[in-house]
Amino acid sequence: MNATFLGELDQIVGREGVLRDPTDLLTYESDALARLRRRPGVVVLPKTAADVQAVVRHCHQNAVPFVARGHGTGLSGGALPAPDGVLIVLTRLNRILDVDIPNQRVTVEPGVVNLDVTQRVAPFGYYYAPDPSSQLVCSIGGNVAENSGGAHCLKYGFTVHHVLGLEAVLPNGEMVHLGGATLDTPGLDLLSVLVGSEGTLAVVTKVTLRLVRIPEAVRTLLAAFPSTEDAGNAVSEIIAAGIVPAAVEMMDRLTITAAEAAVHPGFPSAEAVLIVELDGAKAEVAELFGLVERICRSARATEIQIARDGEERARIWKGRKAAFAAMGRVSPNYYVQDGVIPRTKLPEVLRRIRALEVESGLRIGNVFHAGDGNLHPLVCYDERIEGQGALAERVASEILTYCIEAGGSITGEHGVGADKVQAMAHLFTADDLETMQLVRCAFDPTNICNPGKIFPTPRLCGEVPGPYRRHPIERAGLAERF
Amino acid sequence: MVDGAARSLTDLMAGAETVAGRGTARAAAAGDAIDGVLPRIVVEPPSAEAIADTLAWASRDSLSVVIRGGGTKLDWGTPPRAVDVVLSTTRMRAVLAHRHGDLTATVEAGAPLAAVNRELARHHQWLPLDPPSTDRATIGGIIATNDSGPRRHRYGAPRDLILGVGMARADGHLAKAGGIVVKNVAGYDLARLLTGSFGSLAVIVSATFKLFPLARTSRTVAIDIAGARELQSLASAFLASQLTPTALELELPPPRLLVRFESVEAAADEQAREAVSLAAAQGAKARVLQDGDETAMWDAHDRRPWEGRGAIVKVSVLVSDLGDTLTWLAEAAGIDDCEVTGRAGLGVLLIRVDGDAEAQARLLTALRQRIPVGRGSAVLLRGSRELKARVDAWGPIGDGLDLMRAVKQRFDPSGILNPGRGPGGI
Repeated sequence: MNATFLGELDQIVGREGVLRDPTDLLTYESDALARLRRRPGVVVLPKTAADVQAVVRHCHQNAVPFVARGHGTGLSGGALPAPDGVLIVLTRLNRILDVDIPNQRVTVEPGVVNLDVTQRVAPFGYYYAPDPSSQLVCSIGGNVAENSGGAHCLKYGFTVHHVLGLEAVLPNGEMVHLGGATLDTPGLDLLSVLVGSEGTLAVVTKVTLRLVRIPEAVRTLLAAFPSTEDAGNAVSEIIAAGIVPAAVEMMDRLTITAAEAAVHPGFPSAEAVLIVELDGAKAEVAELFGLVERICRSARATEIQIARDGEERARIWKGRKAAFAAMGRVSPNYYVQDGVIPRTKLPEVLRRIRALEVESGLRIGNVFHAGDGNLHPLVCYDERIEGQGALAERVASEILTYCIEAGGSITGEHGVGADKVQAMAHLFTADDLETMQLVRCAFDPTNICNPGKIFPTPRLCGEVPGPYRRHPIERAGLAERF
Repeated sequence: MVDGAARSLTDLMAGAETVAGRGTARAAAAGDAIDGVLPRIVVEPPSAEAIADTLAWASRDSLSVVIRGGGTKLDWGTPPRAVDVVLSTTRMRAVLAHRHGDLTATVEAGAPLAAVNRELARHHQWLPLDPPSTDRATIGGIIATNDSGPRRHRYGAPRDLILGVGMARADGHLAKAGGIVVKNVAGYDLARLLTGSFGSLAVIVSATFKLFPLARTSRTVAIDIAGARELQSLASAFLASQLTPTALELELPPPRLLVRFESVEAAADEQAREAVSLAAAQGAKARVLQDGDETAMWDAHDRRPWEGRGAIVKVSVLVSDLGDTLTWLAEAAGIDDCEVTGRAGLGVLLIRVDGDAEAQARLLTALRQRIPVGRGSAVLLRGSRELKARVDAWGPIGDGLDLMRAVKQRFDPSGILNPGRGPGGI
């Protein structure tokens, strides 16, 4: 990169805030999707929103692309650096700026870790609801970029349901404030578009989040089933009974085995387990929990473990949340897929995945947010065997085809990033994608903000078209425009 | 600049019927007037494609278009300057799919909310929105205004429940965003962008929502309260408690708090009892309503601000600012000159301000001065032309306004959709 450009960056964030040594850059070549790697031109570590704004403005003035990155736990290559671009790492913007319990909100910088928010407000009886499995390490800024969910989003929603206000630096270096401290702010709801835009529209520098009161009662059970179909039927019965659980998670034999090997949660040996959690008012939870238990038994559950206290509940969740990482215990390499199906299509899609397992010769584990239809197939492979990596990738993308054919989506929470840009063209029409790009062009007409992500074909934005005016000869009725 | 006024009515009718189909257009009548402005024609396209074709024609001919569902909120916000075409969604009222096992439904934009919920109730589910006039207010209009009611406390507004949208763009292309599944992060969230856009970006033709099971039992605790400060203090006590009401409403005069619990019977009863004790602990008198009394009470509450003739202002403040705001309001406006209902737990109020336009304008301006940008807002929904000539309906938008204008420019470069009437006057 150009020395003058780099010198300016030194001026903005200080020399120690700029990394350009190849060994320093190595860390930042990828996010948690390690198979996509690209060396950034330079890494900057700003400490304040003003620093971020100055860096972005500098990029804009020099037509240099930039990518924002939080703690690098993304699973779709959303923070994959732009070649010859600036990687803006936001880990030093890690302050909790304001805790406002009476109004049930906090304001934080983007580098704050998800779980730190809950830990900060728990003494007051509150928590921050979105709980991605990586919540021990992932950042709020990354959650905003990906519209992260978690096991409890069936009842409590995703990041977009919990963000009230954003401060963000636009690709031209201007700072905007969208939403605010209160629920309703007049104007187009650009906040909701910015959440989940995977860092392609702006760099978020401040976030106001809603907090949720810790419920009066929480009850959790783990039920073992002789097949995933039986477990699936139990979920259908729970929904049909008019129950909205706080969470319903399903794991199959392979992922149970892996979790057991890694963190010993004491899961029974079974073809499938369901974790069902209810929360809310004590009387409601008591009555409905009994119903859930009866439903599981009549759906052929072979064993039911009921968490007696917080510790036992934590143990069950540890087994579930460790499932991805635990796959390392049963396979040298694995590919984490993230697809969504209408929940009722689960039996059909699982059958197809099983057939694919046989056909490809690769083992596929399944972790499933069963309440909301978010499927995480884990495709096992061994990269030392010639061609298996590529095969795993094909198998994983075949599963996405099943999801699309079932009426679902190519991603429920990991994002499109750099990984699934091609699949976007299967899920959406050219007109759909073009319409989304209208937003992109309004925010980032020169395409320097996390370029190459989400969309299969970049769009040149061009000038904003002015109001259409008819030509005088059209007006006179002498010609028509076709 | 739109220039449809240059066209003859016969031309307009013929043009509309060519694109939307025979028998879909008529000359506007007095009942079609929007805030006193009479449009030229009304078009009722029978399909998404016909809506798209109508928009392509309107774009080509630079005709200004106002989108109409049930017409219950057309007088909100800025009055139009001139309207060539009212595009009505009235022929698009089907529930396209109710996937009850997945707790989702896809509905055409012109379907009235109450009709949709009657259909969903067959499987004991509902789209948990309860804005005013549900018998006439359509899905499209409710999305376009992000309108909601008391149960927003538990279920959120349309922006919290929408999963996907089908739209017709100003240039006549049909597009979709989101999908039919409850969890989906593929692509930009245009469904939420259109929610609350007041018809300024595209025409919503259909939408998919997340549904909820119908609750088995409902109880409401009605609490009489001494004044605004006590109201805020009790509302805060409910928020801090572990009770899970589906609505936490205030109304005045006289000041009351209405707390609704919907669950299984045992839980609704137990929570109602706890709510009564919580009120008693603060010296307030409470009673529990159920069945017919409860329904009648909520119907009256929902109608309250809209019944009088005054201007309606929607105010959003921090819950901790509620007491001050209400006290100030009572002093500034006089308790007899305004009526308030609203979401006590969310800080969202509907205030009806009576009196003449000058007094209303003074009050709204003073109210806005009290609320710094980013800490709340006061938007004029319904108001006389005299009032709207004196004050901007939207009030300050903040530093995002240029960006909103840029989005509008990209979506509707000819400026045909609800010109000047979008949020912030976009």
